[in-house]
Amino acid sequence: MATVIAGMRSRLDWIWLLWVAAVVVLLALVVVPLFWLILASFSDENSGALTVANYATAFSRRIYLEPVVNSFKLATAVAVIAVLVGTPLAWLVARTDLPGRQLLRPLILAAFVTPSFLGANAWIFLAAPNSGLLNRLWTNIFHTEHGPLNIYTFEGCIFVIALYSIPYTFTLVSGSLELMASELEDAATTLGSGVFRTTWQITLPLALPAIIGGFLLSFLEALELFGPPAFILIPARQNVMTTQLYLFFAQYPPRVEVAAAYAMPLLLVTVLLLYIQRRLLGRRRFVTVTGKGGVRRPMKLGQWRWPFAVAAFVPPALSVLLPYAALFLVSTSRAWGRGPFAPGNFTFYWYHWSLFENLDTRRAIEHSLEYGAAAATIAVVVATVIAYIVVRRIGRFGEVLGFVAMAPFVVPGIVLAIGFIAAYTHPPILLYGTGAILIAAYATRFLPIAYSNGSSILRGINVDLENAARTLGAGRLHSLRAITLPLLRQGLLSGWLLVFIPSLRELSASVFLFTPRTQVITTVIFDFSDAGNYEAVSTMGILMMVVTFAVVILAYRFLGRDVTRARTATA
Amino acid sequence: MGRDLTRRDFVRIAGGATVLTAGGGLSALLSACGGSQSAGPVKPVEKDVSKLFDAAKKEGQVVWWTAHYEQTAAEKMAAAFKLKYPGIQVDLLRQTAQVINTRLLQDLKAGQNTCDVFCSTDEGHYPPLKKMGALTAFTPPDLDLLPKEYQKLDPDNQYHLGAIGFVLINYRTDKSPTPPKSWKDFSQDPQWKGKLTTGHPGFSGYVGQWVTAMLKLYGDQFLKDLKKQDPKVGRSVNDTVTDIVNGERTVGAGPDNFSLAKKALGNPIDIVFPTEGPVIIPGPVGVMAKSQHPNAAQLFTNFMYSKEYSEALVSTSNYPLRADVKVPAGLPTLDKVKAIHNTLDQLAGINETIAKWREIIG
Repeated sequence: MATVIAGMRSRLDWIWLLWVAAVVVLLALVVVPLFWLILASFSDENSGALTVANYATAFSRRIYLEPVVNSFKLATAVAVIAVLVGTPLAWLVARTDLPGRQLLRPLILAAFVTPSFLGANAWIFLAAPNSGLLNRLWTNIFHTEHGPLNIYTFEGCIFVIALYSIPYTFTLVSGSLELMASELEDAATTLGSGVFRTTWQITLPLALPAIIGGFLLSFLEALELFGPPAFILIPARQNVMTTQLYLFFAQYPPRVEVAAAYAMPLLLVTVLLLYIQRRLLGRRRFVTVTGKGGVRRPMKLGQWRWPFAVAAFVPPALSVLLPYAALFLVSTSRAWGRGPFAPGNFTFYWYHWSLFENLDTRRAIEHSLEYGAAAATIAVVVATVIAYIVVRRIGRFGEVLGFVAMAPFVVPGIVLAIGFIAAYTHPPILLYGTGAILIAAYATRFLPIAYSNGSSILRGINVDLENAARTLGAGRLHSLRAITLPLLRQGLLSGWLLVFIPSLRELSASVFLFTPRTQVITTVIFDFSDAGNYEAVSTMGILMMVVTFAVVILAYRFLGRDVTRARTATA
Repeated sequence: MGRDLTRRDFVRIAGGATVLTAGGGLSALLSACGGSQSAGPVKPVEKDVSKLFDAAKKEGQVVWWTAHYEQTAAEKMAAAFKLKYPGIQVDLLRQTAQVINTRLLQDLKAGQNTCDVFCSTDEGHYPPLKKMGALTAFTPPDLDLLPKEYQKLDPDNQYHLGAIGFVLINYRTDKSPTPPKSWKDFSQDPQWKGKLTTGHPGFSGYVGQWVTAMLKLYGDQFLKDLKKQDPKVGRSVNDTVTDIVNGERTVGAGPDNFSLAKKALGNPIDIVFPTEGPVIIPGPVGVMAKSQHPNAAQLFTNFMYSKEYSEALVSTSNYPLRADVKVPAGLPTLDKVKAIHNTLDQLAGINETIAKWREIIG
């Protein structure tokens, strides 16, 4: 009897150790960096004394205020375009008999997983005023001195970011439209309403939460993006908050404290917008899923079928087909400046170079895979344990822990990076310059995805199963291992992939945290573009996307899940 | 020699001639037209360092931290050293200037003395090291083989010139056969409107030093004029080379080495020494006070003034330090270049320079 009790006790200790470890890691990943970020913003650059001088410095000069205005202009324009294009596109694919709609889905998924900084580079190859492929084509055909396109403008930057934001609205809205039964629309039609009136008055209002969600995601994403502004707006001699933040860091010595103060609006606006979204949507009911079955029939577009089909393929053509064609052409050019079709210019040399000859690129590919895998593992383990504590109501602080696990969702990548620098570049924990700081940053940034994924799966597993096991004498740890984990396995794997994929293409935080010894694919691309090595940029970009698409396809095959759906669901 | 080439060479000579010292005009002209072998009048003689070599051999290795060149170039320099001084291993660490400096400071703080020879590209890194007493005062025997004005980078002899880069005018040879001759033309001549490309002082140290020099020469007006030219602003100084090679822009304020490397590959790009002078970016070299291999460190530092080292520099498209090593045809040797050299005080104002650039250019 005594040994049984002792055995139970040791099991109990073990499980508590697991809880405590998960909570400690959660605090280290989320709370500590945010704490240091806020503290740094109020600390004197030299003495460390408390002060508000950093805010005065950050927001008193015209050159620092202009980027703030630019950022909000950029984000608003991007979100409006993304919603205006993404919503009709979703309706066409989800609710109509549009020709080729089966093909549109994978294309939009491809745009979804393509990082916008890669798209920005591709559009530089396509639409730089003199050297851009499309402009060269134009001048050759029309014998003019200049082509019509100039990507190095504010509008050019809006255009590129909007292209890669459309999939957010598309995925959310099409998801909601697909669940909507046709009955409401049928009723309207019976009452004499035409297809477009019905759509406008019945269908769209029901999809409003999804549309607002798409707008907010696009807005916040555009606000925190670093890549496209760095590639497109700096040559256009304009700055946004993220590029200005980078400039605070590029100085010697780096002005971490001023940067922390400067980053605060990004943090506050994100928190505010997500709060407003909750309030807005919380009051009204948008029940589209009644559980009563219902029929979903595609609407007949009639004579509009083909014009709409052509229009629907424009966004994917601009975000996927043209950019990847351009990236491929550049990556297979010996020297891009000679033009892609110059004789003897075609080569696979850069692939060979990136994979086998160049130590830096090879190491970067290995790092990306290692760091992504490590981050995914940490995020899934921590998120699942926390989700378990919350869902099974263990301990008193479950709700708080759940909130903390979701908190990184409102922290832009660049702000998170500043928090990590403020927290982990001094004792007791020195992570700067190591791969660990990148792993921790990825795990933190994408923790909310893993958490919402884990908790939704855990909620689906009836606690009775565990209770049955425990009634039969199994300890909590044992029942967790024998019952819950096997049931979770597939969900955990999908959560892992959902963290791994965005980690692979992360730039905003990486660019602040990497050192030459911890290069990843995205920072190598950033550096190469800086040194003007466009052939290598394209090659690394394509290699990165090959890995990404392979992972996405594997996820589809083995999990039968729409990976993008799960990702936007975290919003 | 075709007509086109002569005209281009004329520009080069015109660009070069104004910076030449009175007697040097002829030799530059000769080298421009045919590539003469002996640019300097006296053949420099390297000192006998066999005693130092013997002492260094006993130490067996030298740890060299450098930001001067990229990895492959640095490996070439190390190989050249091992060839000349067999029996001494070179342990090489290549990083960018800020990173390598941070690492050195961390090591010093922790009482680690791994590094023997320290080469940053930011002269501003050295005064703090001097203040800490981290550097050895030492004059390499062959330092006098450098042009006189480059022999006293530091009055206390705690660091010396180990590498140089220039910010000068680079241009597209087929689209602008007569590039601007001066920084003044660069910023004012309306024919270059919409055709210029530069880096960003907030991103690039080279560009920061260039802007500092231009502000010293022409004041804020330089940036105001430049803005009217509607330049494309990249990040790195090397972006200018890309823009020129790709045909996006035709004239830039760019680096000598990367431009020459692209030229060597057959691209239609070349460089011009502006009449006011190119901006020199000195890459200092210092021997650490607590070096574990002090003799090898001194021998290695002295090696930087050898012919072999300069030849390795040229083979990696870097400007040679020695006047008797052949530079690419048409370029003046180092002793003929009248360069603008920022003082440490001027460089200390870099953050204000960046702010000024952001205010005026964008």
